[in-house]
Formats: sequence, C-alpha cells, structure tokens
Amino acid sequence: MLRSVSVRPQYVGIDLGTTNSTAAVFDGDKVTLVRNAQGGSLTPSVVRIDARGNVTVGDRARRFLESDPQNTRSELKRLMGTAEQVEFVAARVKKKPEEVAAEVLKSLRADVKEHLGFVPANAVIAVPALFEIPQSSATSEAARLAGFERVELIQEPVASALAAGWSAEDTSGAWLVYDLGGGTFDVSLLETRDGLLRVVGHDGDNFLGGRDFDWAIVDHVLRETSSAAGCTLSRADAALGPSLRKLKSVVEEAKIELTRAQEATIILPAAFEIGGRTIDVDVHITRDILNGLTAPLVDRSIDVCKRLVKAHGLTLDQIGRVVLVGGPTVMPGLRSRVKEALGAPFSEGLDPMTLVAQGAALYAATAGLDARPASAPEAAAHKLWLQYPAMTSDLTPHVVGRIAEGSGSKPAGLGKPVARSVRISRADGGFQTQDISLDGDGAFVALVELQTRRPNVFKVELFDGATERKPVPCSPSTFTIVQGLTIGDPPLSRTIGVALADDTVRVYFERGAPLPARRTFMHQTVETIARIQGQSPPILKIPIVQGELSRAHLCRLVGTLEIPGNGITATLPAGSQIELTLELDRGGHLSARAFIPALSQVFEKVAHLLVPDASPEVLTKSIADLRSRMGTLRVEATRRNSPNALGRLTFVECAIAEAERDVEAAKGGDADAAQKARRSLIDAEAILDEQDSEKKWPELDHEARLSLSAAASFVSEYGTKAEQKLLQEATDSVERARKDRDAVELERQLRVVRNLTHAAFNRHPESTKWLFEDAASELDRATDLVRAKKLVDDGRRAIDRNDMPALRTIVRELQKLMPADVRERQRGYESGVR
Amino acid sequence: MDSEQQSATLSALARVRENAFFVLELDIACSRMEMERQAQKLLAMLELGLSSATTYSTPVGTGIRDADKVRLASARLRDPEKRLEEELWARIAKAEKPPPDPDADLGLEDLPKKPRPDAPWPNALPAFGWGRK
Repeated sequence: MLRSVSVRPQYVGIDLGTTNSTAAVFDGDKVTLVRNAQGGSLTPSVVRIDARGNVTVGDRARRFLESDPQNTRSELKRLMGTAEQVEFVAARVKKKPEEVAAEVLKSLRADVKEHLGFVPANAVIAVPALFEIPQSSATSEAARLAGFERVELIQEPVASALAAGWSAEDTSGAWLVYDLGGGTFDVSLLETRDGLLRVVGHDGDNFLGGRDFDWAIVDHVLRETSSAAGCTLSRADAALGPSLRKLKSVVEEAKIELTRAQEATIILPAAFEIGGRTIDVDVHITRDILNGLTAPLVDRSIDVCKRLVKAHGLTLDQIGRVVLVGGPTVMPGLRSRVKEALGAPFSEGLDPMTLVAQGAALYAATAGLDARPASAPEAAAHKLWLQYPAMTSDLTPHVVGRIAEGSGSKPAGLGKPVARSVRISRADGGFQTQDISLDGDGAFVALVELQTRRPNVFKVELFDGATERKPVPCSPSTFTIVQGLTIGDPPLSRTIGVALADDTVRVYFERGAPLPARRTFMHQTVETIARIQGQSPPILKIPIVQGELSRAHLCRLVGTLEIPGNGITATLPAGSQIELTLELDRGGHLSARAFIPALSQVFEKVAHLLVPDASPEVLTKSIADLRSRMGTLRVEATRRNSPNALGRLTFVECAIAEAERDVEAAKGGDADAAQKARRSLIDAEAILDEQDSEKKWPELDHEARLSLSAAASFVSEYGTKAEQKLLQEATDSVERARKDRDAVELERQLRVVRNLTHAAFNRHPESTKWLFEDAASELDRATDLVRAKKLVDDGRRAIDRNDMPALRTIVRELQKLMPADVRERQRGYESGVR
Repeated sequence: MDSEQQSATLSALARVRENAFFVLELDIACSRMEMERQAQKLLAMLELGLSSATTYSTPVGTGIRDADKVRLASARLRDPEKRLEEELWARIAKAEKPPPDPDADLGLEDLPKKPRPDAPWPNALPAFGWGRK
C-alpha cells in the first residue's frame, strides 16, 4: 500500500555495481538501505529475458545464470559505452548494455517506490572515478530509460568518502578510499577538515576487480585439472564457455568461503567434456594458495595507491585513515597485505558492500536532488525561487530568494497582493530572521542558523507593505537544510582534449580541473568539406580524447564529433574556422557544440560517444606488432646496456602477456576481456614509444644542439630580458636531460626553447618575408591551389609596398592551406582540424 | 613602455583581476568555511540572476563575475598551495596598486584577447622548419 508523499525531502542514491546493485535513501537524518522483494539490500546485477519476453532481475535471474546463460546476462557494467550488443536468444532480442542496465535500475526504482511510497523522480548514481566519458554517458542513458527524470552521477570513491565522513567522529586529515569492486579499482585521496571534504585526486584501474581474482583462481583450477587429467583446458576454447561459467560460479563461492575458513575444495563433477571423455574438477585450495594467486593483483592496486599519494607530494605516513570499499576487500589476505603496505588504520564499522549507495544518497542531499515528485504551486501564491545548500557543514549558511512574479514594487499577478518583506523561521522555534525587505528585483539574502547533524526545516513568510502587515501566500513555503558535510566540486580524473590532424592534442580540461567546466577553442579545418547530398558525404571528424600524453594516438578516443557534408548549408573551404565548445557536468557527462562562423551553423550533441570496438583479430595483430617492436628495442637496450630500458620492456612484456590471456578469453566470447586488452595495449604502446625516443637519442641529441644554437643567436639579439632568462633556465634543463639521457624531458624542454626562439624570430624585421618564402615554396602542396596561388601573388605585392601586416595575414592564410601529414592524421584518429 | 614591460603589465593585470580573493570579495585571512559560505551565496545569487552579484571590484578595475569564475576561484582557495599563490598576488595588488588598465571596467577576460606584442605567431613553428615531419 502506498503511503502519502513524505513532508521531508528524500534523497535516493544508487550503486549500479558490476556484480550487485544497491539503493539507499537519506531523509536528512539517517541513511536507510532499500530492501528488495527478497528482503536483501544487494540486488545481483543480473538480467534475464525469457522466450515470452518477460524480464527478471536480481536473485531470481541469477539462479538461471549457469543453466540458461543464453538468456541471462551479468557483469554488464564493464560493457557500458561500447557498441557490444547483448543478446537474449530465446526472446530473439539484442539490447545495448545501457538498455539491460536500465532493467536493473527499474527494479531498484520499484524497490524504492515500495520503501518510500512514491515513485522517485530523481536519483544519484555512482560510477567509477576512472569511467571514460562514453561509460558515464551510457549510465545516464540507462537511468533515463529506467524512468528517472533527473540523474546526477557521482564518482564512487567520493560517495564512499561521504558515507565514511558522515559516520566518522573525527573528520580531519588525509584519507585514502580504497575501492575494489567486482570489475573496477578506484583510489581517491581526500582532505577532510571540520566536515569539509575535498577530493585531492584520483587514480585507479578500470579493469581490475574481484572478477579478476575469480579468473586467477579459475586459471589455477584449469592448470591443476589439466595436469591431473592429462589434457589442455583453456579459457580460449569457446566450446568450454558454459562449463567455465559454472566453474567460475563455484570458484566465487570458494573464494567467499576462504574469507572465513583456511581451506576449501572446488568440486564440479563432469565439469568438462574433452574428446568424448568427461573430466571432473576436484581441486583443494588453501587461503595461502588464494593469497599467492591474488597477490599480483593486490600489489597492482597497492602500486596505484602509492602512485596517487606520491603524485600529490605526500608520503604514506601522512595518511590518517584508509576506507575500504567493495566486496573483495573483506578477504583477509587482501586486508593484511594492504594494511602492511599502506600503514594507515582502516575505518571500522562501515559496510564495504553498501557504502557507495549510502554515499550516493548523501550526495543527492548536497546536490539538492530531492526524489519527491514536484508539487504544483498554489495558484494564488507567489512563486518563490529559493537557493540554499540542501546539505552543508556550515552552521550559518545563506539563503537567497527571489519572487518569480509580482515582486517588490512591480505589480503582482492578477489578484495577488504585493510582497514587500520576508521572514524565515526554523520549525523548532529556535531561530528566526528579522523582517528582510525585498529589493527592487524582489530578491533577498538571509543568513540562517542550523542545528547540528540533523535536518532543519524552515518556514518562509512573505508580507505586504501595509502598515498592518498581512501575510502574502507563497510557494514553496518551507525548505529543509541538512547540517552535515560540504563537498567541493569533484575534480576531473583524466585530461580531456581534441585530437588534431598532426597527432597532437589540444587540451580542453586538465586532469584535476573542478567540475562542472566549459571551454571554447577555435580550430581550422585541414581540408575542404564539400556540401554533398547523398549516401556517403564527406565528413569532418573532430575526435575527443582522454589521457595524459601529448600524442593523440596514445590517448583514448572517447567520442567523435562528426559534421557531415550533407548537413552543412554550403561547401566549407580548407582553413575554415570551427568554434568548438566542450562542457562537462559534475558527473563527468560531456556535451559538445561546434559553431561554424562562415556558415552561421551550429552542430550540437554531435559527439558519438562510444568506446571503440576491440575484435580479437585486431587485438592479436596489435600484440604481434608490439612483440616485434619490443624484440627490436630489447636488442638495442641490451647493446646499450641500459637496465632502465630493459626494466620498462619487462613491464611491457608482462602487460602483453596479460593482454594475450584477455584476448584468449575474448575469443571465448568475453567482450569485456577484449576491452581490457585494448586498453592494456594502448598503455604498452605508450611505453614502447617512449623507448623509441630513447632509440632515437643520437638524432634527438643532435637536434637539441642545433635548437640551442639557433635559440642563443635569436633570443640574445631579439628576445626580451625575461625570454633570455627563461632560455637560460631551459638551456640548463636541456643539459640536465642530455646528461640523464631523458628523452621525454628533453623533448619537453626543447618545446620551451623553440617557443622562445620562435617569439624572438618573429621580431626580426625580415621574419615575415622568410616565412612567406618558405610557404610559397610549398605552393604545389596546397589543398586549394588556385587560392594559394592568389595569396602568393598578393604576398609579392605586399612585399613590394612593404606592407608587413598584410603579408603576415597572407602567410597565416597560406599556412592553413598546407595539408596535414597523412600518416600523422591517421594516427590522430583522422582528425579534420588543426 | 617597451614590449616586455607591456606584456608583463598585462599579465599582472589579468592575474589581479582573476584573483580568487577579489572574485569572491573575501579578505586574505578568511577561513575555509567563510570562503565556502561566500561562494555558496554568490552562486545562489547568480543562479537567481541578481545583478548585484554579476560584478566585483579589484584594485585594477571592475571584473565580471559568473558561476564558472566563482567555482574556479573556490577550487583555487581549497587547494592550500594555490591559495598561497592567490594570497601573494592579492597582497601585491593591495600593496602596490598597478597602473589603471584602459580595458579594466570592460571585463577584459571575457573579451577577445589583444595580441601580446611579443606573442609568438602560432603557425610560425612549422613554417620555420620545426615540427614538420
């Protein structure tokens, strides 16, 4: 039976997990976990669609995971944002991962409805901090499909920290939130002081989770069973798929058993059938064996923690507390290994399985995202716009309000009296403002006092300007502020930029930038885009990438803005300007807007956000290429006797070996493993590129000497004093990098040197003429030969009349007509802009 | 004034005009909580379109305030290292009032930037032979 809608705000938070999902509700006073139909707070993220199209979610669906895998799907979170279709064979339907995830969210939404008595309109959903943009976007879409009107995303570690901070007695110091979920690992460094939480930084591994622990055990069981039975059992064998799923389920149970017991036996009669022979699984496993198998994975997570702490100039002994989140963190072996490595005590008394959902509900309060459906204002009342922090650590926050109509000295709506002043009083009678006069805009700013750690309900009263003040009805007439925590704007976890045609990146948002954020840059097209109607018009591509490296191909492509030739009103010549705006909301959701001034056309939401495909064939070829490159680099590193380079190459070798295992699993139908391999190979390639720079050392070293020589000549003669000083510093850094044979640093410093030379060069009276001649000599390469030839003629005339400003404009236009290098453009995700 | 002095002055003016303490109209000695409270108030006022929140004064003239600028300023003051930097610039600005900027009251930061006299021309690099593969 439905209860009436609560008078208090209700905030809903959801943890859409890889393995389990949870919903929690915060009423301003306490956080409550929402029970599902089976009475549990954890709903397995499993969806089943039967032949009749009936959808089942959670525990009831999970029962069919082994017996009917063709129609029962799990672990969809790692496929979010990919083009992978999830098939339900009996129903003959294929769905996108977000459509299947929406079924889990619908189920949770129904549970919340049972709990609260009304259908929640809004919610906060937690996502891993290192989710790429397409993955976040797909999560928002899943929420929309599930029927939520408004959804905000929160990074999981921030949610965990909020929940831990809400229940902590002492909220000061640096905290590390160690969040190992079913499929992802996140770690966040937080600064906490007097209820103010600031996320200092994130790190993590998007493809490390409890699931990898399960597969490590499965691999061990397969090795043991193969050895005992004298056969070869491999995850690459697609025919073993159903048996492997059964085995993984049994392994998972054994892993859980080993959190309490010292040993367990994995038994699965007639688990496999090889060449007409049935093979049983009977493998004894101890906690020590489990710890040994999972140690490399735990160590990977510890390395990420150390990297994060170091990146922010801290040492491990400065960490005051570690908050453990996620099912795998209950494993005793993991806890002791993490504790030993990090040193700081764990936060006690917190449920690692539901902390994220609890924090998401608390965050909904800080964002003012009340789940109650909006109520219609009374017709006779003044509509009041109110701005206040729904949750804050401040004891005296501001409340700002404005009357939407008929305000102040302006005439009221029909039949409505004019409001002149406002008074705010706390429902418990403990606080009341004086009468505050409304200003000319019908607005006011007031300070209110809060009681600690509870919801504070306030009443708003408007009064007219008569001598005998009369109340004027207003809507809303009450609001609630929860005294608790304040959280700063979340930082962006990875740099976002646009790949350019020369394979470089124009950075829009640096890692750590506070969200929300918006930036606009002007680009130029590298080739003419003809206006063509029809099936396959030319397309201007603007790739959006995420990553920290300066070469576009080493960053991850997370979306492409496409402007098709049949969408523009006229042909767009090469060198045309494109004003591009990227915008990110607090949850990392990206939107884009491209404006073409020459056509006065705007393209919005043109970002095709998709994690690229990763077919096993392409991945296998990438692995072969990387192995070949690695072999060459190893020979050279050995010849040079460079232990540093050899160490990096060993790291790459391990990464490639792991990617190979994932590709094998992908061949067996595991699309998620394919995505993991794709990302690992990009990282491995970045390291090999770095090593390649090392190989090119003599060339780079020679280039450095030439650049320094040119810089010394130009900057000493035409540079400013500041530039000369900067050049001296850069020269010292170049020398240090040369001494250390640090190719990456040398390239970085040479960029500084060249910029300084470049600035000085431009002050030379003849520089524009030289640049013109340089461009004119490349005339035959121009993308628009007729226009380029006219520009060269115009340039000659400008030189004759010594019109340097005009010549400068001409050179700039000529440069825009120079084509991009084909190979670099391919590597830069076919970018059509510079 | 030579070009070096000109560019240094422009850069200093921009730093003063964008200074987080001036954007938020706070004293250098304010506590973290005071900063959060002021940012919350300004964001609320801007959200409701109150004209009194849209400008702020600095020693080099009036700046134009928007929600992005308030959030960026708050983020800088939350970070202890960046706050120190902001404090330094605010102190310098208050101690030595820089020469008035003719564009100061126009909110220069929101208008297209004037080319710096010594600014490198962006396309010179490839034309000069560098970076061309």
